[in-house]
Amino acid sequence: MRRFLHSIMCVAFLMAVTVNGYAQEQEQQRKVTPVKPSTNKVLTPPKGTDEKIIQQYLTGDTAQARAQEVKDSLAKIYPRYPKLTELSLGLNFGDAILMAFGQKYSSFDVSATLNMWNRFQPVLIMGLGRAKDTPDDMNYTYTGKLSPYFKIGANYNFLFKNEPKYQLYLGARLGFSAFKYDITDVSINNPYWGEFDQSYQLKGVSSNALWGEFLAGLKVNIASNWSLGWEIKFHNIFKYKKSNNSKPWYVPGYGVRNGKWAFGLSLYYSIPLSKNRWPVKEEKKKK
Amino acid sequence: MRNILRHITLAVVVAVGLAAITSSCNNDNCIGNSTGIPLAGFYRENKAVSINSLTVYGIGAPNDSVIIDKVSAKNVYLPLRLSTSSCKYVFNYNTEGVGNDTITLGYDAIPYFESHECGAMYNFRITSMEHTINAIDSVIISDPLITNADVVSIKIYLR
Repeated sequence: MRRFLHSIMCVAFLMAVTVNGYAQEQEQQRKVTPVKPSTNKVLTPPKGTDEKIIQQYLTGDTAQARAQEVKDSLAKIYPRYPKLTELSLGLNFGDAILMAFGQKYSSFDVSATLNMWNRFQPVLIMGLGRAKDTPDDMNYTYTGKLSPYFKIGANYNFLFKNEPKYQLYLGARLGFSAFKYDITDVSINNPYWGEFDQSYQLKGVSSNALWGEFLAGLKVNIASNWSLGWEIKFHNIFKYKKSNNSKPWYVPGYGVRNGKWAFGLSLYYSIPLSKNRWPVKEEKKKK
Repeated sequence: MRNILRHITLAVVVAVGLAAITSSCNNDNCIGNSTGIPLAGFYRENKAVSINSLTVYGIGAPNDSVIIDKVSAKNVYLPLRLSTSSCKYVFNYNTEGVGNDTITLGYDAIPYFESHECGAMYNFRITSMEHTINAIDSVIISDPLITNADVVSIKIYLR
């Protein structure tokens, strides 16, 4: 009986060893990676690939080469200008032209525009405005005294892929002015009661106004760093101060209080910033 | 140099064009009167009515001039005198058996500049009112501030 049990244990041990060996063999077979014959095929680089990148591939630094290749291909379709691309100083003289055609008020201002990434352009504007008008067939003279105004805003340049010397942009502004005006030479007739040339004066009336503007503009390089810019603006007064005796007709920097549209013409001088980081044109690269 | 002159010429042409557009969009016509004149309307039982053959004049007007004379009127402007602080108006109904009425208005004249198109004018603030009661039942000043707006500010209720 003892010999019989011993024989059974020996058989069981041999079977266990055999099964285990078979399982290990199966496991090893599953981990084998098949090798394709095309692995050793020589891939030619795309046409126009930079020699430096090709050399990086050849020396085995493929990760860096690929990263550089992606960066260069993006740069070709999307030239990135530096954060501080240029600073433009402007003089708005559009009203000088309009005054030559009969406009009775004018605003002149200087502006500083910081071109960031050739896209976003914060703008700061300071100026002076005045008005004087004695309308035909009316009974008064309106004098808007020379007063300052301020505007702050930003532009978005839609031609950000092109050079900054040509820009097409939309912008928004917030403007404020505190000013004074006179109403003089008033002549009022009250024919029923036989009262003629009744007169009064409103002098030194103080007011202020806060307004917003949406504008579309075009900026074109004319020579060296000089550019001309046209702007057409839609604007609206949010709030203005009216006295017990009058409402202002003219707001410096805005124009006629009831007006909704305005026009601007400016001369700009641009100072390039970080020019060594500006994208280089392809033809220049070839040279 | 020629290039710059060409750009400047173009700038002027564009400027004039845009100026023409912007100025044509900025018209601001005067929609009210050229000065503040109270408009009186006639009512009977809260309904606006016309009076046939009505004559209205102000006492003390030069040459006894009348405001309206024997016309059918639903409302009438009552011009205020600038050199005094009250005006008296006579309402003659030109009807047998109906006596004339008078309305006296006391007021302050307020110099006012409305806009570029409406010009300088006077507004008035009605401070007092008296009337007789022949054909008139009552008079209500609906808005004591008389501006150049073309609205009824004195409601005359008839019997």
